This record gives sequence, structure tokens and C-alpha cells, in this order.
Amino acid sequence: MATIASGALVNLEELVPSSQQFKHGISLRVTGKLQDYDVETAVAVIVDRNASLKVDAQHLNINLRIGSIFQFIGELLLEPDNEAILKARVGRNMDGMDLNLYRQSLQRLRDFQAGR
Amino acid sequence: MDALQLVNTHVKLLAFDFLTLKPIPYESTIFSRKGRRLSRAETVGMVVSRDFKPNRFIKFDIDDGTGCIPCILWLNHESSHRRCPSNVRLIAQMAADFASQIQLGVIGRVRGKISRYRGNLQITVSDVVIERDPNSQILHWLDCLRLARNCYDKVVVLPST
Repeated sequence: MATIASGALVNLEELVPSSQQFKHGISLRVTGKLQDYDVETAVAVIVDRNASLKVDAQHLNINLRIGSIFQFIGELLLEPDNEAILKARVGRNMDGMDLNLYRQSLQRLRDFQAGR
Repeated sequence: MDALQLVNTHVKLLAFDFLTLKPIPYESTIFSRKGRRLSRAETVGMVVSRDFKPNRFIKFDIDDGTGCIPCILWLNHESSHRRCPSNVRLIAQMAADFASQIQLGVIGRVRGKISRYRGNLQITVSDVVIERDPNSQILHWLDCLRLARNCYDKVVVLPST
């Protein structure tokens, strides 16, 4: 079995073209509330605070309910117009997740990793 | 001797930390982290790959956001003759139950022995719990940070005699 790339934890607000993580093919883990889902194209849109991201969910077998919180792991694809879409490998419903605790803990985790 | 024994404790490690454990020459079941000896680990993360071979094994990867830990759960207990048959049946049934729960996208808490396969670190799984609480991953991160700072990173000073 080939080694699987870990999805780097990222807040949607951090996914801007100047970011180190805004790269074609990079593996990411994103979290947000499902704002839209097109059944025909299997493209979902998640939002978190003032940022949003398109997610290609065609390989997932989960119930994508508008308004629920989801977490996806996959590869970021940059389209010709520099618009990003995450091609999700796995995803799950995270309703009940404390998003403030998540953001604070993520920052602590990053600080800890940087200190190693 | 390690005054604060961690051998045989399921040490909670983040994947990036786990993947830097060092093997100890001539002790295939013991690994070193900053000079401390470890043999077992616990991880929590999303199952991102699954390779199931009935009656042989299930291999899967747990992604905790800092890395991916390869895991193997053996399912061939009934072809093993090392234990009495009733124990073997129970262990085999438990392993089969765990295997059925390990699906892509679930959050699993996995415990087991640290091992190596073809030079790569992995967990040889002894038990699996599928986490329902969406905050379990966050709480595991915080546990790992606290334990690293307050316990695993501590330099043990033996009292002088």
C-alpha cells in the first residue's frame, strides 16, 4: 500500500494565493459549514467565517446536508483562473464540533510542532 | 532503569512525533523517544486508507493532522497455535469486529504495539474505538501536548544513593 499524504490542517481563511498552502496538489484537511451542494456535479461549497472553498465530493459516500459542519481531507486543485477546489478523498460530518476550540487548539498544535 | 516507566504504557503521540521514534539495536519491540524507552502507542485520527485481506489482516492509515500512522490489525489468529482455542476464538472475533468498524472517514482511537515493517514505523493494533464525539480529535491533540510537556519530555533524574 503506497504511503498516504497527511492532510495539513488549514483554516479556510488561510487559503489565499499568497499562502504556502495554496499550491496545486497539496494535501489538506479543511473544516467548514456546508453552504451548497450540487448533486449533478458533486461539488460542495463550505464556509468558515468570511472564507469559502469548493469541494469535489464525487468520491465520497456520505450524506451532505446543507448547514452541517463537515471536515474533508483531499488534494487542492488550482483551476486556470486560480480558483481552488479540494478533491476530497475522505470526509465526515462534524456536527457538534466546537469550532472556537478547534481554532485555538490548532494554533497550540502549530506552536508545539514549531518548537520541536 | 527508566524511573518513570513508559514501556508497556500506551503513550499518546501525535503522528509527527511517532514517526520520529528510533529503533533500539537488538531490542525489536522497544523504541526510543528523546532517550525514553517506549513499546506501545495510542493515536486518534481519521481513517484515510483501508486494505482488507479477509482472515489475514487489515492495514489502514490514521491521519491526525500532523501525519499518517500506518496500522496493521492481524486477523489470522485462528491459524496461530500459540494460545488455547477458546482464547483464540475470542481474540479472532474481537479483531473481526474491529476490522468491520474501520471504514474510510471514521475517527478511530487506535492502541497497540509500536513495530516496524520494511523500515517504516507502524502500530500493530490491539484495540480500536470508533469515536462518535466530533471533538475527540481536538481533545487528543491537547492530551498529547500536555503529556509531552509534563511527562514524556521530562528528563528523569535518579536519586543519588
